[in-house]
Amino acid sequence: MSALSRIAYPVAGLLVIAVVWEAAILLFRIPTFVLPSIPSIAGALWGDLPALLAGLRVTLYEAGTGYVLGAVAAILLALVFVLMPLVERAAMPIVVAVNSVPVVAYAPVALVALGMGSASKIAMVTLAAGFAVFVNAMNGLKAVDPAAVNLLRSFGAGPLRTIWTLRLPAALPAIASGLRVAIVRSIIIAIVAEMLGAYAGLGQIIYLATQQVDFLRVWAAIVLASAASMAIYGLVAWIERRLVWWK
Amino acid sequence: MTDPASDAIIELAGISRTFGGGAGRVVAIDGVDLRVGRGEFVTLVGPSGCGKSTLFNIAAGLADADPGGEIRFGGQRHAGRDLLGRVSFMPQRDLLLPWRRVIDNAILALEVEGMRRADARARALAMMPEFGLAGFERHYPHQLSGGMRQRVALIRTFLFERDLMLLDEPFGALDALTRTMMQRWLLDVWQRHRRSILFITHDVDEAIFLGDRVVVMTARPGRIKLDVAVDLPRPRPAHVATSAGFLRIKSALLDAIEEESMKSFTMAGH
Repeated sequence: MSALSRIAYPVAGLLVIAVVWEAAILLFRIPTFVLPSIPSIAGALWGDLPALLAGLRVTLYEAGTGYVLGAVAAILLALVFVLMPLVERAAMPIVVAVNSVPVVAYAPVALVALGMGSASKIAMVTLAAGFAVFVNAMNGLKAVDPAAVNLLRSFGAGPLRTIWTLRLPAALPAIASGLRVAIVRSIIIAIVAEMLGAYAGLGQIIYLATQQVDFLRVWAAIVLASAASMAIYGLVAWIERRLVWWK
Repeated sequence: MTDPASDAIIELAGISRTFGGGAGRVVAIDGVDLRVGRGEFVTLVGPSGCGKSTLFNIAAGLADADPGGEIRFGGQRHAGRDLLGRVSFMPQRDLLLPWRRVIDNAILALEVEGMRRADARARALAMMPEFGLAGFERHYPHQLSGGMRQRVALIRTFLFERDLMLLDEPFGALDALTRTMMQRWLLDVWQRHRRSILFITHDVDEAIFLGDRVVVMTARPGRIKLDVAVDLPRPRPAHVATSAGFLRIKSALLDAIEEESMKSFTMAGH
């Protein structure tokens, strides 16, 4: 696809949605608090921009910190599990049990233990992002061709050397797609956690605006969160393509 | 040729390997005796599923044999696992790592041994012309033809300098023309470097053309059925395949293999 059509098609899609959106408001007389018009959302976004950007900064700080912590912890844990099958057998049920509940369900615990500030949000993002990366890293590290492992063993390679030379690079595509999925999840979890109790952040702005029946502000925050999320996803996907070019 | 009785690089005596137990018990190989002399080129043929690869894995130290057999390597008795890192092993598929350039795939074993990357690359670079890979050092595996990928796998095996090389159907996936070229080239390299080679193949012509001895294995359970010395002078020209001596060996081998193939065919319930 040419560069022009890569931009032209999504723009055309957005235009169609905008037309349908505006037409629906006019045709069905949808009240503003259900669906405000696009120009009014744009106006609210512009007018509130400093406050919204301040909120976005807090949200991105929490999402980013939790994402990095979670990803690093997940990859290390996966390596430990692969190197020590006994540890895996003992600890895997616990990991599965923790992961079988939506991360948001841990929010009350996190808020009580870590308070209303950023720490509780970072903890929850760490958990959510960590699982997404962990599952992929495990799959990738274990899906390595056993014949290739045997080849390295025949050269006299030990487990650590096999991890470094073969398993980790071979698992990189899977780990990278885990990292890509986890970045969006991180931003979602940060916003949801802020809505459940916070001093700042886009989620807190959305929560307060809802309380004040300021739906234009709610929509402005959603649009900003969505735009930021897409931009960061695009960046991570771009890095992924650079990193695992051989797939 | 070396004196076969005195100087063996590897000697397997009474090697068996059983998988599973009870009703699902499968005897893959049963009481195999096999020796490869120093500098000798031994080829191994047999019907599919005769346990050739199992035998190779044992000789490479990748799998354990059942208790009771004996493995002597360089004159000394060894447990299977001791052989890891002492035998140069080339599996059926090239198993090149797609994220490494040709040169870095070639030095894989040297890197595992702890050699500095720059030194290892210099050594590999010097061997590239001999393996027909000069100018392709910086290519990635997906940019190469099947024959070239196989040569990269071979250079990787050669750079892991061990006295014994185990080659598991290295040319099995190549077209006939490339295969002939690769056989001549392998003999050439072998005669200059004088390693001992144990070479698995499905192809009887290949087995005779390459080998000092051809060993035939039986269908499951794998046993040694026939061990024939190939008394054709080297270097062997392409037309050696039409000589009386070649054909005499070939007919003996084909008879033995046909008998075994029929056995495994009927055993499979056809």
